[in-house]
Order: sequence, then C-alpha cells, then structure tokens
Amino acid sequence: MTAIESNIIHSTFVIERNFPWRPARVFSGFSQPALKRRWYAEGDHELHEFHMDFHLGGSERLRYRFRKGHPIAGSEIANESIYQDIAEEKRIVMTSRMALNGKTIAVMLATFEFVPADAGTDLILTHQGTYIDWPDGAKMIEAGWTGLVDRLQKDLAQ
Amino acid sequence: MRASMRDSPIDFDRLFHALGDPTRRAIVDALVEKPASVSKLAGPLGITLTAVMQHLEILEQAGLVHTEKLGRVRVCRLVPGGLDALERWIREHRTPWEQKLDRLGEVLGEENSAG
Repeated sequence: MTAIESNIIHSTFVIERNFPWRPARVFSGFSQPALKRRWYAEGDHELHEFHMDFHLGGSERLRYRFRKGHPIAGSEIANESIYQDIAEEKRIVMTSRMALNGKTIAVMLATFEFVPADAGTDLILTHQGTYIDWPDGAKMIEAGWTGLVDRLQKDLAQ
Repeated sequence: MRASMRDSPIDFDRLFHALGDPTRRAIVDALVEKPASVSKLAGPLGITLTAVMQHLEILEQAGLVHTEKLGRVRVCRLVPGGLDALERWIREHRTPWEQKLDRLGEVLGEENSAG
C-alpha cells in the first residue's frame, strides 16, 4: 500500500540474429530508406510518417497511430532518432526519443553491429533504454498481450 | 465431426499442459514420423497401454492428436495444424525488435531472390 514506485525504469537487452547474407546486404536494410520502411516502419498500424536521412548526425522520424482493436487504439507514437555513428557495413549507433501522444515515454540508445560470420552476418543489437513515467505501463503491456491472445483466439475460431 | 472443437477458442492452458510432459512430447515425436497404434507407441516408451491412453486423451483434448478405432486397432496421428496455435502464440509474443528483425529477414530475402 505504501510502496513507492519509481517513475523511471532502466532496461538493456541484446538480440543476436544470423542472416545468410553478407554484411553489405544486411546493412542495406538499414541504410536504404525504401527497404527500412518495409520492415521497420510498416506494420499493423496506420503509418503517418517515415523519413530517414542516413548520414552522421542525420535524423529519422517515425510516426504511427494504433488501429482499432489495439488496446490503445487511436494513440499516436512518434519516434525521433539521430544517427550518432555510422561505420559502413560495420556499425550504426542511434539515439531515439519515443513519445506517446506527445509525451516522452522512452529515451533509447541502439547499437547495431554487423559481424561477418561463416554463413553470412551476425547482427547484434544492443538496446539501452530509459522508460519514463509510462502511465500504467505494466497494465498497458499486459493489456497488449491479452489483446494479442484474444485476437489470436478469434482468428483461430473462424 | 470436430466442429465443436474448431468453434471454441484455443485453450492455451490445455495446450501447454499437454506439451509440458516428457512422455507426451515423446508421443508427439513418434507421431511426427508416422501414425501409430497405441501398442506401437507404448512399446518404446516402456509404459502400459492404459498410461498411453491417458496421455493420448490429454493430447486429444489439446487438439494435437487424433485417435480413431480402425477395426480392432486404435490408430493415433497428429492433427494437421495442431501446433499452429502454438506457433502463432510464439510469434505474437516475440518482442517488437525480434518481430522487426524477422521482417528484415523477409524483406532482404525477397530482395535477394529478385536480384
């Protein structure tokens, strides 16, 4: 009852993924706007804006709105990033600010490393974030999972 | 015939319970190869027919296995698509970045075949 909850959460995760292509090709998925739009910006939401200026100090903007059926349908996410470091076919470091309906909810540092491997490229993403005062964050995330399972169940019932 | 099963939502408790047992997973492993009779299943597992039947009932209720009596033999087989729900559940529960990288792989794969 009297527990004081911090409004700030720090979290870091690492994802490693092997792709069966040379670093040049995997890197192109990040450097070419038309390609990055397809896997990064598009999705199960209403895409309002995706613009990227791929050079050192360049910015990237992503804005989208959750569709009907999503636990926070109608809410808008805006993601503004800066390319802090680019080493061709080797590394991309970016910082980002994520806002939900205009309010900052996360500030993030993402490092992508493209490491040649036997059968292609190991992509290593190290993602460090500060999550700020996310109103009912845990509940929203829980609602998100529940919503997904509900949707899945509906799909399967058809 | 099995319409009632299709109409009801997937029961994930049942699904995970069914697969949360090594003997039942061994039964599923065996059935991946080919359909088998209850006694064929029981042999390598070293358990009684009754025990196999009990496991099969749980697998059937989870929609993973179908059994039917053909003559004097009860034949068991995997339900096609029985694991689809699990596959989709896993896909939906990958983190946003894992999902994004899945899509990156798809996008680059298409580019690859095109080029």
